[in-house]
Amino acid sequence: MHESPTSLSDYRKQIDEVLRDDFLRKTLDTFAVAYRANRETIFKEVDEQALIKQIADSRDAACKRMEELYTQFKAEAEKRGVIVHRAATAEEANDIVVRIARQNNVKRVVKSKSMTAEEIQLNDRLLADNMIVDETDLGEWIIQLRHEGPSHMVMPAIHLSRYQVADDFSKATGVKQDSDVQRLVKVARVQLRRKFINADMGISGCNFAIAENGAVTTVTNEGNARMCTTLPKVHVVIAGLDKLTPTLDEALTALLVLPRNATAQRLTTYVAWMCGAGECSVNKNDKKILHVIFLDNGRTEIAKDPLFSQIFRCVRCGACANVCPVYRLVGGHKMGYIYIGAIGLVLTYFYHGKDKAKVLCQNCVGCESCKTVCAGGIDLPRLIREIRARVNAEQGGDTVPALLGAVMANRKLFHTLLKFAKYAQKPFTGGDVQFQRHLPAIFLGKHGFKALPAIAAKSFRDRWKEIAPVVSSPKYRVALFSGCAQDFIYPEQLEACVRILASKNVAVELPMEQSCCGLPLDMMGQRKTCTDVAKQNVQAFANGRYDAIITLCASCGSFLKHTYPHLLEKEKSVQYALRDFVDKVTDFSSFVHDKLGLSTEDFTNSGEKVTYHAACHICRGLGVKEAPRDLIASAAAYAPCAEEEVCCGFGGTYSVKFPEVSAQLLGNKLDNLAATGASRVVVDCPGCVMQLRGGAEKKKLPFRVTHIAELLAENLKC
Amino acid sequence: MSKADSKHELVENFTAKAVAANSVVHEAPSIAAALQYVVDVCESKSPAEILADEPDAEQGPPGPNDMPTRVKRIVAAPDLPDNDFAELEKLCEVKGFACIRHGLRKHLAGIDVGVSTAVFGVAPSGTCVVNTDREEVRLAGMISESSVIFLRKSKIYPDLSSIAQLLRERMNEAPATYTTFISGPSRTADIERVAAVGVHGPLEQHVILLEG
Repeated sequence: MHESPTSLSDYRKQIDEVLRDDFLRKTLDTFAVAYRANRETIFKEVDEQALIKQIADSRDAACKRMEELYTQFKAEAEKRGVIVHRAATAEEANDIVVRIARQNNVKRVVKSKSMTAEEIQLNDRLLADNMIVDETDLGEWIIQLRHEGPSHMVMPAIHLSRYQVADDFSKATGVKQDSDVQRLVKVARVQLRRKFINADMGISGCNFAIAENGAVTTVTNEGNARMCTTLPKVHVVIAGLDKLTPTLDEALTALLVLPRNATAQRLTTYVAWMCGAGECSVNKNDKKILHVIFLDNGRTEIAKDPLFSQIFRCVRCGACANVCPVYRLVGGHKMGYIYIGAIGLVLTYFYHGKDKAKVLCQNCVGCESCKTVCAGGIDLPRLIREIRARVNAEQGGDTVPALLGAVMANRKLFHTLLKFAKYAQKPFTGGDVQFQRHLPAIFLGKHGFKALPAIAAKSFRDRWKEIAPVVSSPKYRVALFSGCAQDFIYPEQLEACVRILASKNVAVELPMEQSCCGLPLDMMGQRKTCTDVAKQNVQAFANGRYDAIITLCASCGSFLKHTYPHLLEKEKSVQYALRDFVDKVTDFSSFVHDKLGLSTEDFTNSGEKVTYHAACHICRGLGVKEAPRDLIASAAAYAPCAEEEVCCGFGGTYSVKFPEVSAQLLGNKLDNLAATGASRVVVDCPGCVMQLRGGAEKKKLPFRVTHIAELLAENLKC
Repeated sequence: MSKADSKHELVENFTAKAVAANSVVHEAPSIAAALQYVVDVCESKSPAEILADEPDAEQGPPGPNDMPTRVKRIVAAPDLPDNDFAELEKLCEVKGFACIRHGLRKHLAGIDVGVSTAVFGVAPSGTCVVNTDREEVRLAGMISESSVIFLRKSKIYPDLSSIAQLLRERMNEAPATYTTFISGPSRTADIERVAAVGVHGPLEQHVILLEG
């Protein structure tokens, strides 16, 4: 029922297959677009960022007090007639449930959706013990009939069509069922009501376990949890230890975000709070037999981890999947084991082991969409990269990334190899040096979806001496962080930037000891080399007293600013330089827009119709949204693009690992760009230029792709 | 803003948000009018389908889901005060409906109307908070095709955080309590994300706003 890929090639085959599932693609496309709009609307009524911060803080605090909260919950719940258990492992939790079932002569079980019950694969165990188990959440019931796992945490059957459901229901009822959705829902109403009535035991999950009064909470739209927890004589709650919440207040705050994030609702239809074992007229003493089982399964260890303990901020809203461009293409069955989406990639490692996680955790493009919507502000992309690093450290990783890592640790060797590559590619570039023209197909394989760029004849660092401008009495002194892609492939982007800065009286320097920012290494899990490179870079800029360190690569910028402090937190010798470095790193658009104040008067507006692709690391990574759009409108005619902030599929090494997904993301992006009718697309990131230009060239689309600096330099008034 | 204005605003906000969540909101000038509304709801709906075996129930022609329907409709109001219940019973008798306050477990196959009383309302999500230690009361809101909740306007609060303390006190009042936040009828979007109501619980959710 649950599968996880064992090798990258196996995984890619599976993905290839699922990419051909037109129904899934259409459903998830529609959902992604609708969700984004609905979420935005429903969050307008609250202070989203403040709430996320509040949830993160309160969850972090609860995590630190997990043991104390457990003790308090247990005492309070027991006072109210509840029996509280604690299970160290999945196996132990299953044993406890079976024991309770036997003690109470339970034959029939109804369940309301619980990811924790999925985590321990409780159904298999109950079935093995000859119990009849029925899921009662509509989506869960459908996939149970099909012997499948959920493909979404909130909408487990989102991958299925009404026709498939009608077939399943026809089989289950022995009567041919109409495919009308309203009718199908009523089939479930009729079928499941009897199951509720006949059940001896109800099993539910738990959204919040309130320590102050021993209450457990379920959140459902269908009302199935109310039935499961009211009708049968026994109720068993399965809760992760991370669900312990000090007081009602924290739970009420989380409820302002959970439904908004999950389904764009103000509040889920039914939120039930069960405080104590209440009336139950089918039992002799008129009291419900109520058990709460807390599952550890590694949680107390994770709670002690300074980085990973933030996963307990997760409220299981599923938003990280809802906004994930990869999820949108491949669906939940290919993006998780039991837990799905970005958080699923992380939880799989902890709850189901590295064998289940090692391939899955590679499937993140690093676009940071999940991080910006997470109800608890979990830094999911970082945690996923961290898991890759751990997986690599534990099992040695692939040879190629390790070799590459070794090369990149040595700046001179790395740069020499890059320069050498320009000779090696010569037979393949043909007349046009922009692209590698004639790479034998055998080298391209699945990468044939885009033309690959050629290494520049002369790198930016080698040209620097000739082009370095002389600025007398400058307004600002800045340094360039050139980034590999621009230094060695697109030096013209950096040159455009230098022209603009010099004309606005800004002195520019290029510290020569700088190297790759390290992001590609981190994406491959090469943590040690990445840290070395980071340190080298900080030192390269250390004594310059620059007003700003400018990068034209959003990915470099975001990595330098947000990841360096974590990478280097233990490097005592560079702490001062690090803080200074991080503070000064600025993306090109923000510097010329915010600092230099470039506006319409500085340009001769070309009138060219120009559209924009918001690179993931500019709009989310650095939170820069207005500057580039203002600048485009100052220099040309800005034509907004649909889904402007959705990833182009590059993701650095991601496009090498998952070319099929990358190609599809690129295809969607190019369609949207072409639909604007613009003759030019500009971006703040050379990686996106590479991806988009390569794709546009391959498809012969009628627009060119450049860095925003090039557009501005061309139209700058002299 | 005067107190009356802000109260009025809360009621308006509650109503708008409850309606947005597919509830039907009705203002009743008196308890008598509210009870009459309950009977009207029962009268205007099609008779409840009997979704499971209920040997004693007289069965009418099949309903929309091909299940037999109730000949004698059932209105359950387990938490009404004695005098109000007596009043409702009279109104039901005239229409030939059964009006019950005990023994709801006998009718888990489905009843027509279930009445319950909210202790609070929460305006920004149109939510009714039903708090009880009684199983009968919970069942009334679960197994009825139309759920009707009585809510006093003075009990509508501006947000979830302002009911935290009240909720805490309520939960501590009895050895065990079951509290439900209800925002609309039972709903799902599990099949192709198409919205549908009435998957398990009520097909309709009515909220009657009472003065005071």
